[in-house]
Order: sequence, then C-alpha cells, then structure tokens
Amino acid sequence: MTDYRVSKLFFDLQHDPKLAAEYRADMAAVLDRYEIKPELRTALEHDDVGAIAPLVNAYLLRFYFQIRGMPQDEFIARLHALKPREGAHG
Amino acid sequence: MASLVGAFAASHGPIIARDWEVMARDHRDKLAGAFDEIGRRLAACRPDLLVVVSPDHWVNFFIDNLPAVCIGIGEEHDGPPEPFMQKVFPRQRLKGHAAFGRHLLDTALAHDFEPALSHRLKLDHGTCIPLWRIGVDAELPIVPVIVNDLEAPMPSIRRCLAWGRLLRQAIESYPEKLRIAVLGTGGLSHSIGEPTMGWIDEEFDHRCIEHFARGEEAPLAAFLTEALPRTGNGAHEIRDWVIAHAAAGSRGFELIDYFPSPPTLVGAGFASWRL
Repeated sequence: MTDYRVSKLFFDLQHDPKLAAEYRADMAAVLDRYEIKPELRTALEHDDVGAIAPLVNAYLLRFYFQIRGMPQDEFIARLHALKPREGAHG
Repeated sequence: MASLVGAFAASHGPIIARDWEVMARDHRDKLAGAFDEIGRRLAACRPDLLVVVSPDHWVNFFIDNLPAVCIGIGEEHDGPPEPFMQKVFPRQRLKGHAAFGRHLLDTALAHDFEPALSHRLKLDHGTCIPLWRIGVDAELPIVPVIVNDLEAPMPSIRRCLAWGRLLRQAIESYPEKLRIAVLGTGGLSHSIGEPTMGWIDEEFDHRCIEHFARGEEAPLAAFLTEALPRTGNGAHEIRDWVIAHAAAGSRGFELIDYFPSPPTLVGAGFASWRL
C-alpha cells in the first residue's frame, strides 16, 4: 500500500536541495511538516528500509537513502535481507 | 511526407553517468562500443528529428499526477536535473520539435488514444544518457514520449505495440519531408530499490532478445505480459523497446550487443530494428 505522505517527502527531497540540506540538519522539523504517521516516522528515524520499502515506489526509496547518505552496498544488503518476492530469485 | 529512417534501443542507468570515469576500463569500453555503434548507425540515417521513448524517473511526474503516456510538444525541453548528469551532459536546453510533437498528439487523439501533453519536459538520465553516449548533435530536435514504466499500473504491452504502430502512422502522415528516427531507452532486466536489487535476469533478457529478433508481436506480448511480473522492476522499461519495435513494423531487430553489467546494475542491451 502506497503511503502518500512518505512518498511526497521523498519526492520533495529529490527535487529540493535546500529541503534535503534541512533534512540532514534537522530531520524532526521536516517530518513535523509532513504529518507522517507515528510508526512511519519511527521507521524513518531508524532508517528501517524494510518497514519503508512496501510504502513507496522503489526508485523513490533508492533516491531517499542516497540523500540519507547510506552507501549503495549497505542499501542493497538491507534490501537483500528482506524476504524476496515469490518467484524472484538470484 | 516524413519517413522513418531508423529505430534503435539502448539501455540507460544512472551509474553509467555517475561512475563513467572510474569504471573498470574494459567494461566501460564495452558500453562505449555499443553506444558508439548506435551513434554511428543513427548518424548514417541522417535524421532531421529523433523521437525518444523513455520513462520519467520522478522528475516531471509524481503519484498525484502520473500519466501513462506524455508527449513533449514544446519548442524546447530542459536538460537533466540530476546532479550526476550535469557533469557529463551539462545541457540546460534541448531542442524540441513542436510541430511534429503536436502532429503526434493530434494523430493519437484522432485514433482514440488520450496521452498527456507537455510544452516543456525535463529530460532526465533515461533520455540523456543515451543522447550523451551516442553523441547526438545538439541541433537535432527531440520529441520526447514519456511512458510510465515505474509505477503500477502501467500500460499493457498490447497497448505499447499499438502506440508503436500509431507513432509510425504519425510519422508517415506528417506533411513535411522529414527523416525521423526513433530511440527506445531503458531495460533490459534490472532491479532497483526492491529485495532483488542488483539482480540481472539473463534468462529474461535472452528471451526478450529472441522475441524482438523474430519480430512477431503476439508471442512478444504474451511473453512479456507473463514474464514482467516475475523479474526485476527495471525490466518494465522494455515498454519503450516495444514501442520502437512496433514503430519499425515488427520485422525483427539486429542485436548490437547484450551483456550483463553488474557495475551499472543493468542487463545492457543495444539494438537496431529492421525497417
């Protein structure tokens, strides 16, 4: 199920370098403005890839964790730790 | 009347631009060789205009307004906004072709297709990595056709074939004597931001290539409709190849190169259709 507010946050961060800088400096202040559900806010605060992945487009997820500064190898490793979709392999 | 003079496809992927200078030399040479061959063939076609069929990577559109297909009908378009593109392709503006864009839009509406339109698109890495590596002349006008390849639900493969045929019809009914080429970008298999990220599905890629080479539309559509949900999400960009395929008349293609490219996370494919 897509979460619009988390998706909008990720989209805005991709498009607005000032917002991305503010997010790095004061994540809580930006999250306050997006009215994100408490459990999702916690997931964002903990960089919980597994909790966030089902809620946003996969490309936006990738952009977001680039903005968060997570190295690609770590991002991939966290994704691989999630249960693969049925039928997917490799 | 205008005519179709070439139809091509090439992969893209942000890492191609981001890591071009630091990539292992033999791998970079392999990518460069394939892009160069597309560029050589495109130049040999002497096109007056290039229709580029590509996805939008959340640059123009978002889930609050997400067209299945959008035609760029502006006099010009914006260059790629991604920082990793600006170092390799620092073009702020790309020349459009408003008259043909409008003709394509009118032809679509006259045949019961309802695309979105844009008088000014931002052309992201999906369009501009191939333009950069192929070496497309800055004076060559571009008509972008943006297809939703990123967010379900997406246009069916059957509909993409119909879009390709419609594009050909628009080309052949355009009154000015223009030489028009088509470039589909993206694919082949890749997996981004999902639990299989990094997976290159070579079996899927080879079967795609076999179907495109044979040409027949119905088996191609049946295969892709069945296989796309089972492979990585990046493979949905194959829709752009399907549109180029049908625009070229579905007579099969010549594979210029295919190889899995783990450094760029894509099954790298490059092709030229028979007209």
